[in-house]
Amino acid sequence: MGSKGEKRSVVSWSFREGVIFSVMLVGIGFLIEAVLGAQGVVLPSWPRNVWVLFLFSAYIVVVALVLRENSFVKWLGGIPLGLCLIIAIAVLSLFGGVLPQEAGAGPSWAQSLRLNNVFSSWPFALTVFFFLFNLGLSLVWKTVPFKSSNLQFVLFHAGFWIALACGLTGSADLQRVIIPLYEGRSTDRAYNSASKTMIDLPFSIYLNDFKMEEYEPWLALYDPKKDKVEVDESAKGSGVAEGMVVSWHGVEVTVEKFLPLAIVDDGTGVPVPAETGRGVPYALLSGNDNGEPFSGWVSTGSPFEKPVFVEVGNRLLILVNGSPKKFRSEVTIRSGKEGDGRSEALEVNKPVSIEGWTLYQMGYDEKSGKWSELSLVEGVRDPWLPVVYVGFFMILAGNTLFFWKGIRKKQLIGKEAGN
Amino acid sequence: MTLVEFPYMAKGAMVFWGIGSLLSAFSAKERVLKVLGMGLMMAGTAIMVFFLIAFWMELDRPPLRTLGETRLWYATLIPVVGFLVEYRWKINWLKYYCVALASFFLWVNIRFPEVYDKTLMPALQSVWFIPHVVVYLVGYVLLAASSAAAWHSIFRNRLSEGKNGLEVGHYLALLGFVFLTFGLVFGALWAKEAWGHYWTWDPKETWALIAWLVYLGYMHANSAKVDRNKLQWYLALAFLVLLVSWFGVNYLPSAQSSVHTYQTG
Repeated sequence: MGSKGEKRSVVSWSFREGVIFSVMLVGIGFLIEAVLGAQGVVLPSWPRNVWVLFLFSAYIVVVALVLRENSFVKWLGGIPLGLCLIIAIAVLSLFGGVLPQEAGAGPSWAQSLRLNNVFSSWPFALTVFFFLFNLGLSLVWKTVPFKSSNLQFVLFHAGFWIALACGLTGSADLQRVIIPLYEGRSTDRAYNSASKTMIDLPFSIYLNDFKMEEYEPWLALYDPKKDKVEVDESAKGSGVAEGMVVSWHGVEVTVEKFLPLAIVDDGTGVPVPAETGRGVPYALLSGNDNGEPFSGWVSTGSPFEKPVFVEVGNRLLILVNGSPKKFRSEVTIRSGKEGDGRSEALEVNKPVSIEGWTLYQMGYDEKSGKWSELSLVEGVRDPWLPVVYVGFFMILAGNTLFFWKGIRKKQLIGKEAGN
Repeated sequence: MTLVEFPYMAKGAMVFWGIGSLLSAFSAKERVLKVLGMGLMMAGTAIMVFFLIAFWMELDRPPLRTLGETRLWYATLIPVVGFLVEYRWKINWLKYYCVALASFFLWVNIRFPEVYDKTLMPALQSVWFIPHVVVYLVGYVLLAASSAAAWHSIFRNRLSEGKNGLEVGHYLALLGFVFLTFGLVFGALWAKEAWGHYWTWDPKETWALIAWLVYLGYMHANSAKVDRNKLQWYLALAFLVLLVSWFGVNYLPSAQSSVHTYQTG
C-alpha cells in the first residue's frame, strides 16, 4: 500500500513540476520577445547548424546514458514533462492558428510578443528545444539496450525527432525563389522574396510555350447598377452545353448553339469555329425575360477582342470564363553539364528537379488567363529534405506497426466482451 | 444523382435511421423488433452509400473536395463504425450516437446547400488527393465515434457498462490517431509536390497539427496511467478541436491567407 501511494505522489509531483516548467518556459520566451522588441529567433545556417545539431544530439545521448538513474534527468525525459510540453506547443500553435501570421498583422500587443509570427518566436523555440530534449532522452533509453518490442516506439519517436529537429534546423538553408519566365525568352535569375534579393541560378530556363486548359465557361446575369454578378447555382461549374436550359430571377435562357473556340467572320459578322489559337468561346442564346423574348450571341472575350453580351431588361447576360483545369510551361533547361538542354513540361503537382533545385509551376498572368505569356515558376532548394523524409518514413513505419498492435488489442478486448 | 435530389435522399436516410433506432432501443427482448430496427438503420446507410456512388459518377471526380462533400462521407461512414462496434464488441449504444451525428451532418448540408461544381483545380489533381482525404476521413470518423463513446461514459452510470465502454472509446481514439498521423504525413508529402514545401504553417496545417498534438497528448496521458474516467472528458472535448481543424478554421482571421480553400461562390 505504502509503495503504491508513494508512486502515485511521484507521478502527480512530476505533472505539477511539468506544468510549472512549461509555463515558465513560455513565460521566459514571451519576456525575451517583449524586451528585445519581438525580433524572434534567427537560426544558424550551413555549416554551423550541422554542428549545433550534432552537439545537441551528442549531449542528449551522453546525458541519457551517464545520468540514467538521476531522478531529475528521469523527470526531464519522462512522459509527464513530455505531455506538458506537447500541450504547450499545441497552445502556442493555437495562437498561430487563430491570428494571421504575417509581419505587421494583428493587434499591437500581439505583435510586441511576436504572436503574429509565433513559429519563429522565443517561446516556441524554447518549448520545442526542451521537447526535443525530452523526446531524445526517452528515445535513447528505449534504444539502449534495444528490444524488438520497442521497435514501434523507436521508429515513431526517432522519426518524429529527426523530422522535427532537421526540419527546423534545416529551415535556415531552405531557399524558395520565384522565377518569372516570358515566352520566347531565357532566364537564369530568380527573386528571393524572403531576403528580397535577386540570385543567380546554376542553370537557365527558356520558356517555349505556356499552355492552359479551362473548364467550360458558364452563364451569369450582370447588374451594372449594383455591379453584381448573379450566377445560376445549379448551372455553375457544370458549364455551358448546347440545349441547356437555365432559369433564374425571372429570366429563362436556352443555349441554342455553343462554340468552344470561335472567331467572328469578317464578312457575315457571325461567329464561326476557329482553328487558330485566338478563338474564344461563343454561345447563341434565346429566351425570355418575364415574357419579353430576346436572343443573341455571348462570348467571354479575350485580350484581343471585347466580350459580347445580351441585354436583358436592365441587366446583361454574360459568358464567364471557366476556371483553370490544367496549366503547363513547356521549357528548355540548360545547365553547365548539359549544353544541349533538356525539354521539360512544368505542371502543378509535377515538379522537375535539376542541380539540387526543384522547379514548380506556380502561376501566370491571371488577367490574360490562357493567353498569358508570363509563367511564374518557383524554385526550391532544400538540402535537408532527404533527412526529413527519412524521419517521415520512419513515422509511417512506426505508425503502421502501431495500427497493427491496435488491431490485435481490439481482438483481445473483443474476446473479453464476448466472455 | 445530383444535389437536387440530395434533400430527399438525406431525409429518407434520416427517417430510416430514426425509426430503426426507436425499434432497436425499445425492442427489449423482442428479437424480431431488434433485427428489424437494425435492418432499417442499415438501409438508411445504404441509401447514403447509393447516393454517394451516384453523385461521384455524376460529378466525374471524387466528391471529396468541398466541406459539404466531406460531410456526406462522414454521414455515410460514422454509422458504419457504430454497426462494426456492435458486431465486434456487442456494444449496442454507440450506433445511436453515430446516427445522431450523421443526421446532424446531413442536416447541415440540407440547411446550407453548396454550389454544385464539377471543377477540380490543378492543385487537387494529384495521386495524393484520394489517400490524403480518405485517411483523414476515416480518422475523423473514428475520433467522432470515440468522442461519442466518451460522452456516453460521462453521462451514463459508468458502472453499468463496466470497463468496456471506456475501452471502446480508447481503442477508437487509438485507431483514429493512427489515421490522423497518416493523414498529416501524407499531407506533408503532397504539399512538397504541389506547393514546393512540406510544411508552411498554413492555418489548415497548423490546426491539423494542433488536433494531432491534442490526441498525441491523449496517448501519453493514457501511457502515464492518468485515470481513465478523467480521460473520458479529454476524449469528449478533443473532438471539438478536430471540428475546428475540419471546418472551423475557415471562419478564423488566420484563414485569409490559407491555400486550403476549395470552396467556390
